[in-house]
Amino acid sequence: MEKIAIIGTGQVPAERRTQRTLQSQAVDSAQQAISDAGIKKDEIDAVFLAHCFADQRFNSDLVFSLMVEELGLSNKAKFNVNIHSGGSSGENMLKMAEGLINSGTAETILCIHSEKFSLMSIPEQIEAFASFGISAEWESYTGMVYNTIAGLMAERFMYETGTTPEQIASVCVSLRKWAQMNENALYRKPLTVEEVLNSRMIATPLHMYECNVLCDGSSSFVVTSAERAKKKAEKPVYLLSHASTVTHYSLAQSLDITGFAYAKAGKEAFETVGIELKDIDLASIRACYPHDALIVLEGIGLCERGKAGAFVESGETQPGGSLPLGTDGGALSRGHTGSGVGIDQIVETYVQLSGKAGERQIENCSFAVLSGLGGTYMDSHVMIFGREVP
Amino acid sequence: MIQYNKPLPVIQPWSKPFWDATRERRLLIQECRNCGKKIFYPKKYCPECRSTDIGWMESSGVGKVYSFSTLHLGVHPKFEDNAPYTIAIIELNEGVRLMSNIVNCNIQDIQCDMPVKVIFEDVTEEITLPKFEPGM
Repeated sequence: MEKIAIIGTGQVPAERRTQRTLQSQAVDSAQQAISDAGIKKDEIDAVFLAHCFADQRFNSDLVFSLMVEELGLSNKAKFNVNIHSGGSSGENMLKMAEGLINSGTAETILCIHSEKFSLMSIPEQIEAFASFGISAEWESYTGMVYNTIAGLMAERFMYETGTTPEQIASVCVSLRKWAQMNENALYRKPLTVEEVLNSRMIATPLHMYECNVLCDGSSSFVVTSAERAKKKAEKPVYLLSHASTVTHYSLAQSLDITGFAYAKAGKEAFETVGIELKDIDLASIRACYPHDALIVLEGIGLCERGKAGAFVESGETQPGGSLPLGTDGGALSRGHTGSGVGIDQIVETYVQLSGKAGERQIENCSFAVLSGLGGTYMDSHVMIFGREVP
Repeated sequence: MIQYNKPLPVIQPWSKPFWDATRERRLLIQECRNCGKKIFYPKKYCPECRSTDIGWMESSGVGKVYSFSTLHLGVHPKFEDNAPYTIAIIELNEGVRLMSNIVNCNIQDIQCDMPVKVIFEDVTEEITLPKFEPGM
């Protein structure tokens, strides 16, 4: 299999109650991605759309080629398709793109996401997310909501590893420090461990600052073959390897809610790539809730079991630390855009590896590991990116 | 019975015996007669061997808390009158897991691996929900 590369990205700032329309956000981030890639729009021969939760009319518009027309790709694009696996949509877009580009079905694919959760009231958001990956027969009667999923994981993780509430809260603090340097981030005020632990209890053991906020935003990226990227792009970022496993639909049926399949996916992803864990410069790790990052750090072996909390608490993932993690602020500070949460992470991974991260740029950033998941942690994705092919 | 306005189980054809049994205060799980696998949530085909020769067996109704979370804020809009309430993954002694609520105890006392046993809550004429309380 030939490798593929991301050659350009676009993103509009995350906002709580944006004045932008879903369509205008999508047009802006997609056009940014095309311009950033430095290609002619007609070189794009396929368009992937992630799912929009808040407006089903707009989602239908995406499915039925609105963006092809908006971007001047009519009679050029071969196909336009919705790729939806919730929070892992971005990761799965890359997997689909790799297959289609390698088979010759497509050459250059534009991937777009746009979401506007402010169209829904907070109770509507809670009720909608209480149905995603939560069984209507076996689970909805309990009154569980999405935050319950994270609470169940965190409780068991603390019980099994001895990780402390302060250590979990320190993930939020670390992400906030990165967000302070990201003008697209939702929350940029300094945050302390005390503030996190003194914030209101939401779903035990998680406090308000440990629960992500759904927001409005749009992000896009352009992907093509490594060969084409070398010719066309100044700073391509290569997808070096990836692995994933779908572990469950309902969280109650997951064998291990403190590990999922990150150990397996991590092992498989690193097996063939030609670099080792110690070569990783950026941990682009999903943290919709703070303990998610600890589970992944331990799962893929960047930290020993039970040691990730102390590692983050000691400042190693913060600006200036040995392993920068979630350098855009992640879902907890940059903001959670639903199906776009992984696409935002892919954008940040590209931005860092291509040296375009401005104030928050990591020095000599050559290799990144990305983790992602969709639904109620139904799938564990590990992807490795590099600014060169080792 | 007062009007119950919270979500009720959307019952699949193959799981009807389970919900018939909860009305009789029995907790059933499935067992594959072909490969012996204990199955829950109920399935039409065995998830291991795809056999349709699946029987029902009565669970002891006893198990332990695999994990739990008590919702204080951001609760489901239809459960506001219940808050705070505890959701838990229960591991039955037969080895299968299910999501449920822990009731009849002080929420501060709930811990992982705490022993629990099933109780049954009649919420409508047709539906009786399995919930759990401390005990063995």
